[in-house]
Amino acid sequence: MPLLASRRLVLAAAGLIALSAFTAPAMAAGDPGQLIQSVADEVIQIVKQAKGPDREAAIQKILTTNFDMTYMGRAALGTHWDGTSEPERARYLTAVASAEAHAYSERFGQYAGQTLTVGRVTPRPNGVSTVDTKLNQTDGAPISILWEVRDTGQGLRITDVKVEGVSMVMTRRSDFNSYIQGHGGQVEPLIQELERRAKN
Amino acid sequence: MIKGMFKAMASNARHSVVVAAAAAALLGGCAVNDTGASEVWDPAEVPNRFIFSINRAVDIIAIRPVAVVYRDWMPTPAKKGVHNVLENLGEPVTAINEVVQGDPSRAATTLARFLVNSTLGLAGLFDVATSFGLTKTKEDFGKTVGYYAGVEPENGGFYLVLPLAGPSNARDAASLMADYAVDPFRILTYALNIDAVYQGVRYGATVIDIRTRTMFALDDLEKNSVDYYAALRSAYTQQRADLIRQKREKTDSRGELDRRDNVALVR
Repeated sequence: MPLLASRRLVLAAAGLIALSAFTAPAMAAGDPGQLIQSVADEVIQIVKQAKGPDREAAIQKILTTNFDMTYMGRAALGTHWDGTSEPERARYLTAVASAEAHAYSERFGQYAGQTLTVGRVTPRPNGVSTVDTKLNQTDGAPISILWEVRDTGQGLRITDVKVEGVSMVMTRRSDFNSYIQGHGGQVEPLIQELERRAKN
Repeated sequence: MIKGMFKAMASNARHSVVVAAAAAALLGGCAVNDTGASEVWDPAEVPNRFIFSINRAVDIIAIRPVAVVYRDWMPTPAKKGVHNVLENLGEPVTAINEVVQGDPSRAATTLARFLVNSTLGLAGLFDVATSFGLTKTKEDFGKTVGYYAGVEPENGGFYLVLPLAGPSNARDAASLMADYAVDPFRILTYALNIDAVYQGVRYGATVIDIRTRTMFALDDLEKNSVDYYAALRSAYTQQRADLIRQKREKTDSRGELDRRDNVALVR
């Protein structure tokens, strides 16, 4: 695995000399594969120890420290981001973060001994690295999960999770966009709906 | 009674679907709307949402409860056995598609799997072929068309919600009919005049098997979306596109280089 990784880096560096200015900082900031592994380990610890609101709070902390929630939230809003006022954006991002924490907390609540195997890391010329992982189930075929990791300047952050090819951000984007279109092109009803859900 | 009604509806819809899909396949060449990674092309959104809501009602009343009972009460080995039998019945169609995809050696492996599992595996109840090193693949004509089509795999023509079957698009709906037409089991049971019973049992079991397997993901998507219809439309399109992209990347040169790289390391 380390051999593979280093060989990949050498190849990438050789192939992308012209773009090395972009890829170098991403490599210097740490190993994307390691980030995913540590997040997975932390999550398993939380799920084993904490329950209910405690778990949700701990999950939210993981999301805010390891995921680039602003970037994801912005991407999910798509073109509607530009027409949204600053206070609305702040409210929207808060609502999305707690809605996601709620969702992830419930998802992980189904944990039944699965393990995550981190596979190869592919650095891309735009500074984003993708990390292939397999979620090994106790019975049945493993689930493919692909992570997108980006260097934000304050360290590596996860910017998207693709489960069997389905991107969380892309699905949210379609979902939100359709909701906004159905409500007169206004972002406000979406924010209110997300805030309402976060309370439950 | 209700079941009969649905069947009649489905067979009526079938003709119009084929016609519409054929028209779309022709139009698709003109690349009216290369949706790419952006929004899914859905010109029939109003009727689609209508079918979607009927499907959901049928699901809530009839399908999901059965799937829940099946999931919780059926012993795991039995569920696995049912799944294996259904998958084994699908192997000939996979093999046919692999031939059309220009991969006869993979088709031979699939056929070998089918022969081993149908005999040693007791009519497919046990997947012994995998333990012999014959790995499993699953192909359908939608993937075959997507593999050859010169457009982004997200572009499968217009989005379509099929009665009972759920999310689809022009490419996959038309392909469903093609797979159905060439299925040796359908042809055989039709010739033996037992196709009604065979298909009732097979597709009934398939619906419950698939519904049980997708329960977690669909519940999650429904709960965490503000517009379930749009979220499912996006998720379906992405997932199908991912499967097609995996097929394309196997033959593309970069993927080939990566693979060789890995093989070299294994040695």
